[in-house]
Parts: sequence; C-alpha cells; structure tokens
Amino acid sequence: MSRRLLRYLDWPVLAATCILVAGGAVVLYSAVQNSGDAGALVRARVLHAIFGLVVLALAAFIDYQTIARAWRPILGTTLFLLLAVLIVGRSSMGAQRWIPLGPLGGFQPSELAKLALIITLAKHMDGHKELTSWRDILPVLAQAAVPIALVVRQPDLGTSMVLTAIVAVMLFAGGAPLRAMGAMGAGAAAVAPMAWRILHDYQRRRLLVFIDPGADPLGAGYALIQSKIAVGSGQVFGKGLLHGTQNLLHFIPEQHTDFVFTVIGEELGFIGAALMLALFVVWLWRGMSIAAQAKDRLGMLMAVGVVGMIAFHLFINVGMTLGLMPITGIPLPFISHGGSALVAMMGATGLLLNVGMRRKKIRF
Amino acid sequence: MEFQQPSRRLFILNLIIGMLVGILVVRLWQVQVLQGASYLRQSEENRIRDYTLTAPRGIIYDRKGRPLVRNRPAFTVAVLPLELRNSTPVIQRLASILTISPQEITARIDRNRPRLFEPVRIKRDAGSHVVAMIEENRLDLPGVIILPEPVRDYVHGKMAAHVLGYLGEIDPTELAARQVEGYKPGDLIGKAGVERAYETVLRGTDGRLRMEVDALGRPLRVLSRAPAIPGRAIVLTLDLDVQKAAYDALQASGMQAGAAIAMDPRTGDILAMASIPSYDPNLFAISISPQVWQAITTDRSKPLLNRAIAATYEPGSVFKLVTATAALDHGIVSRRTMFDAPGYFQLGQWTFGDLRAWGRIDFLTGFANSVNVVFYTLGYRLGGEELAKYAFLMGLGELTGVDLPGEINGTIPSPSTKEQLVGEPWFPGDSVNMSIGQGAVTVTPIQVARMLGGIATGGPLLQPRVVLMTYDRTRSAHPSEPYVQRSVPYQDSTLALLREGMRAVVERGSGYGARVEGLPMAGKTGSAENPRGKPHAWFAGYAPVAEPRIVVVAFVEHGFRGGISAAPVARAMLRAVFPRPADVQVPR
Repeated sequence: MSRRLLRYLDWPVLAATCILVAGGAVVLYSAVQNSGDAGALVRARVLHAIFGLVVLALAAFIDYQTIARAWRPILGTTLFLLLAVLIVGRSSMGAQRWIPLGPLGGFQPSELAKLALIITLAKHMDGHKELTSWRDILPVLAQAAVPIALVVRQPDLGTSMVLTAIVAVMLFAGGAPLRAMGAMGAGAAAVAPMAWRILHDYQRRRLLVFIDPGADPLGAGYALIQSKIAVGSGQVFGKGLLHGTQNLLHFIPEQHTDFVFTVIGEELGFIGAALMLALFVVWLWRGMSIAAQAKDRLGMLMAVGVVGMIAFHLFINVGMTLGLMPITGIPLPFISHGGSALVAMMGATGLLLNVGMRRKKIRF
Repeated sequence: MEFQQPSRRLFILNLIIGMLVGILVVRLWQVQVLQGASYLRQSEENRIRDYTLTAPRGIIYDRKGRPLVRNRPAFTVAVLPLELRNSTPVIQRLASILTISPQEITARIDRNRPRLFEPVRIKRDAGSHVVAMIEENRLDLPGVIILPEPVRDYVHGKMAAHVLGYLGEIDPTELAARQVEGYKPGDLIGKAGVERAYETVLRGTDGRLRMEVDALGRPLRVLSRAPAIPGRAIVLTLDLDVQKAAYDALQASGMQAGAAIAMDPRTGDILAMASIPSYDPNLFAISISPQVWQAITTDRSKPLLNRAIAATYEPGSVFKLVTATAALDHGIVSRRTMFDAPGYFQLGQWTFGDLRAWGRIDFLTGFANSVNVVFYTLGYRLGGEELAKYAFLMGLGELTGVDLPGEINGTIPSPSTKEQLVGEPWFPGDSVNMSIGQGAVTVTPIQVARMLGGIATGGPLLQPRVVLMTYDRTRSAHPSEPYVQRSVPYQDSTLALLREGMRAVVERGSGYGARVEGLPMAGKTGSAENPRGKPHAWFAGYAPVAEPRIVVVAFVEHGFRGGISAAPVARAMLRAVFPRPADVQVPR
C-alpha cells in the first residue's frame, strides 16, 4: 500500500515546496538581518518548517476521504478557535488575530480556517453531485459564510478575501452554473459598499492610495511607493543577497511579512523573482494536473481548492508589491514570516499530495 | 460509476492561473528591467542625504590685527520637509519649544516648497536649553534637525556697525541673480558695509556631508565628505582705538545724529568711520525677528544710514575752503587784502547777515574767524560758475569711490545746472549764499575728508578705502594698493595761505576746541544753516601740519557750532591717533 503511495507521490510539488521554504528562510533572514533578534526569528522559522513537514506528512498519508469524513470536528474546532480569538486574541494592527501559545509564539486560527473551508466545502459539494439549483448552492454558501463572517469580524480583510476566493474557485470547478456564479458576483459587488463601513481607517486609506499613490506619499501611499522602488531597483541581477538598501534601511514596512517579496526583487533581481515564480508555476501546474487526475470528485475539489488558494495568495501578494493590487495583508505562501501560515500552507500541500498519491489507477 | 472530470472547467482555471502568473512576469519585467534604472536612482535618493557643512565667513580684523567680526559656534534648528510626517502636531510642538507661532514655521516651510530635500532653517543661534529640549523630544519631532552653524559675532556691537555692515537672509530677487554662485534659499548674505562689498571674499564654499540614512532619516554612516572652505579673512584700514574714540565722542556730543571720519591722506586708509545713531549688527546675525526689523527700518532717526557716506548735508563754512582757493587762484585776494566787515553784506535790496561786526580786518583774520562778509564779497566777485568749478575740482559733489556700498553724490549747484533743473535764472545772491556753503550745496562727510586730504598733501586725491588687505586660501596676504584718483592743481601760494589760515583757525580761531596740546594742526569749522532745525556742526582738519598723516572730519547734525560740538569729536580722534604718554594705559 505505502509503496504504491510513494510511487504516485508528486515529487516536483514536494521539491518546489521544499525549495521555496528553504530559500524563503534565507530571504527572511536577509529581511530581518539587522533587527536584533534575527537569530531567534530564523530559529522559529526552522522550527515551524519542521513542524510543517510533520503536518504535511500527516495530511498526505491519512487518506483524504478519512480526513473529509472528519469535517465536523475540523470545522467545529475552527469555528470555536475563531470565536475564541475574538475574545482572548492578541491584537495586532488593530485586529484580533492571534491566540498566544507561549513558546510556540502565536496561533492564527484564520490560517486553519482556509484548510477547514477547503475540506468541508469539498466534502459538502461531493454530496451534491450537481450544483445546478440554488437549493444545492445555498447550503454551500451558508457553510462558508460562518467562518468568513468570523474572520471579517477580526477584522482580517485579506484572509476573508482568500476564503471567498476558495469558495468561488471550488464552486466553479464543482460545476456551478455560470449564471449562478455571475449572480453571486453581482451580489458581492452590491455588498461591497457595506464592507467599506466595517473597514478600519488604515484599510480604507490603503484602498484609496491604491487608486492614487501620490495622494499621500509619506503616509498610506508610502509602502506602495517604497515597495515598487525596492523591487524595481533590483533590476536584472539584484543588489545581492543581504545587500538591499531599501531592505537594510527599513524603507519598507512589514518587510519580513507581507512585503517579503520586495527583498527577493531587490536583492535577487528579475532573475531571482522569476525563479521564484517558476517554482510556483511548477507547484500550481502539477497541482492542477493532480486535480485533473484525481480519482474522485472529493479529491478533485480538494486539489482545486488548495491550488486556488495558493494561486490567489501569490497573485495578490506579488501584485501588491508591484503596485497592481491594493495593500491587503495576504502573506506570500511558504516565504512570508508567520508560523501559522507556513504550517497551513504545508498542510495544504500535504492534502494536494494526498490526492495525487491516491489518483485513479492507470489503465494498461 | 467512473468519476467524470469536469475537464473544461479545470482547463479554464489553468488558463486563468497561467494568465495571472503571466501578468506578474510582464509587470516584473516592466518594473525591474525597463524602469529599473529609474527605481535604482530613487532608492539611492532614499538612502542618501546631503548635509550642508556651512562654511564660516571670513574674519574681519582691524589694521592692527584685532578681530572686529568673528564667528561663534552655534546651533540652528531646521526642518526637513520631506521627513516631516504628520506635520501639524510636530510644528505645534516645535513652535512651543521655540516660542514662536506655528504659522511662522509653516510660512518658512512653504517658501522652500520646491526643494523638499533641503533643510529649512527655523531658528538660528538656538539656545542650549532649546537644543537640549529638542534632543530630548527627538522621537516626537521627526524631521526636526539641529545643524551646527556658526553665527557672526560683531565683537564691538554698535561701534563700527556702518563700516562692517550686517548679514541677512538672501531675498528672492537677489537669489535669482546669484543662484549660479551657489546661493540657496535661507543663505545669509552681506546686506551692508564691508559684509556686502566684500561678500565674495568673505563667503566661503559650503562643504557637503553625504550620509546614508535609514527610513526614519537617521544617519547611519558617512559616504563622502567635502569639507567646507572657510571664507577669506579681511584686514580693515580701521584702527580700533580711533574708531572707538570717534564713536564714543559722537555719542558723548549729546546729539542725535552725526558722523566722524579719520583718514590717512597719503593712502586713503579710513582709520575710523563712525555714524550715529547706530545699530547692533548682532541683531541681524541671527534671523532678525519681524518686530525688531520693523522697529529699526521705521525708526525716524534712520540708524541704518551711514551718515559718513550715504547722507548729504550743507557744508556751511567748510565750503569757504573752496571759495578761498578760487579767489586766491584768481588773484582777487591776498593775505593782506583788507575787508570791511560791518556784520552784514548788502546786495541791492537783500541783506546777508553775519554773526557779529568785525570792523576792518585782513583776509587771514577773516579766514581764521570764518567771517561771512569776507567770503560773501569773494563769492559775489567770483560768481556761481567759478565756485562750482572749484568745488568739483577739489573733490566735492562727486563719489569718492570708497569701497563701501551706498555712497551718494550730493549737489553742487551752478548757474547752468540751476537753469536746467529748477528753470530759474542764477541770481547774484545765489553766488553770495554759495560762498559760505549754503543754498543748494550739499556734500557728504567723506567728500570733505578727501578734499582735506588733497589740501594736506598738496593735491593728490586718494580713493578712500576701508580694506587694507585680504587673505587668500593659502593664507598669504594681498594688500590693496593705494589709488591716486587725480591731483588737484593747487598753486603753491594758494596752498600755503590755505594752510596758514587753517592753522590759525585751530590756534586762535573758531576751531580751538579741536586743539591737541603739542600737535600742530590745521582745520576749518562750519555751522551749516538748514531748513530742518539748528545749524549742523562741522569740523574738518589735518595733522601734523608739516607732514600730514591724518585727516579728521566730524559732523554733528544740528550741533549748532562746529567749534563747540564737532571739534571735540575731531579732537578725540586725533588724541587716539597721537596719544600723549599720559594717554597710554600701562598695565600694572
């Protein structure tokens, strides 16, 4: 049994993941090199990566159908933790996202919510072979709405966007009629102005300066302008690892979390940035082919959910540093600082590999 | 049942993902490869700050090497507009520390608008407690910096203010004209006196400190350093002792306004040039507050005016030197010519008065006692055209060319110019009036000094000068050469009589008050009637008679009698130049 599993293990995805995590740790070190506790941050990263590998292995080897059957405890735990974070959570940037875990640092339940949503939606949509009527679609939406609402309440705009994207991608792959998708899109657009009201001031400013970065070059537009300068100044070959001036002199806020891509762009140049994108392309392309070869609808949906999540993260995060997207707190998968995100992303990779290992038999 | 893949939808998803990654790659290419150079430049601008190292101005010494103007280390509070994030509370806080209004700070920043990288100076010469307070509140004052900038120190305050001048921030029109010389908004520039006339000598070349800074503008390390080149030193012709004597004597005259000049007639060296009322140039050395500026410029007594060169006055009896010279040259008078001086001079229906009746006197007595009737008679016979000719010839009515800004001409009227300017004919009475330096005649004290120099040395008119030498960058001295402008063609007999008359003025005539024991000297007093009040008092003289080394001119506005209020000022200057053993302070 396990031999068959290993034979079908998708090595390119695993390899791309490991390279991204390892390379990401180096970039992360560069980002924090003169912050005083660089050593501690890198040690934490290694610890998280090892823990992530364990989670990855667990997610890969426990049959995904078994995992899916446990959707109730998974979703229940997630919702409980999301509620808990609202009550006991530690605040950062005006939002409550963390549950303190002592020596392990903090735990962000919203990262777990991404995985939980993929699993429960896949399980749920697997039960409705056809998503042709609103009667099939609405329960799916209702199920997704609860965790999304809790994340919005933190408020964590980025993660709620990720969750929404996961729902959209999975509905699309699950065969929801385009007319229904269109209606949902229109509904979302109608609700958007209401969302404006629950945003924090700093989030509103971020959206406004995205439209006109020059409006407030030293305030909210600052990060947007400085991150473009950082990436652009790397030119083709970069300024050399550990030698980015924008990075070293702290011109970029949050350079080790959401803006870590600026360090890659500045220090490793176009070559380095393109190499990173190539690794993600391998990962995503293999992920989609795993989805296409999944032995059942449950596996296909899980794989699509995971791939959609990573692709969304990638595009929004890199797009943000390049001035294509407004600033939203979405990390760069496998690279950005943040243990919960790393473990969640590696867990998602495990889930993808899981589907891949158990793909349908190749006929002779 | 075999699971059927929705391959079409997955294909579309694949396509979308491919497209998104494609967008990222294209954008990366655009930002890093196509626009990379521009962003690299911006990142360099980000991390590099150029700090100006203010070059100290040249020090100004008196002729004996005593510093008159030097530089005192001080600190300037400035603001970097680009780093002034969240400006309102910062400006409020800074304003309360500096005890000025926030509007003043905002106005100063706005004036600097196009140059966001340059520091805007808010307060020069901030006190040590202000600097300490700003350093303590560093974190609450982002964008506020302290620059070490020397401040000009006028050691003797008001004493030589008009010669030394003062500094001020360069104004917009001046800036437009001199930008090529490297002036920047907020720079100090000489506004008057030597500070202005020798601006290019005194001004050094600012240095530059190129620093790497972090995102908060905190300097991290020095990238390059171009040291400031200090301005060149200047040695003035002034003698501090004589200058002090002149200024103190003017102050002691008890009068509102006046001027005093001591000049070496052989070289044109100005040993003293004082003008009252005076002002303290130290007030201008730091950015002067609008209130003080307002008070000084609107002061009716005009303290900024250098009365020695930039104000004209009726010369009064001092002009009798011109009348006498013309009459002697023309041979219409000799030392023995006798005059009837009944105390008035009758010309048709007009009567020209005198102080008293002298009876029958000879010319020399008339000269020594400044008897008006004698000169009325001569002037009437000479006529206006001839008087004007001699006035110009002897150096009145024209710029002396002293190396200070703001000198003016004065007026020497003549029949031809009166016709032209006033449109009235020249009456014989005009000549009579002119002969004693009244009427439309106005001169500057420095013109009188130069004229006296010509009489003292026998003709040469030396261009008056206040700068003896300048030092260059290698500290070698460049003396400025005395310059003989022209020579007045005095006849020897005329000169001899003039000198004899002037000696008599001091020894037994109206100028007795200027006499210094044991110093043979010559002089002439004057009381110039003027429409504004009591007569102006003049004394002009030179010493020693045999070998003149010094010309003194003292002038006191509304001083009434030259011999009473002006002569003591001249005497004080002479005492400083020729100290008697008893005057020399011996340290015990």
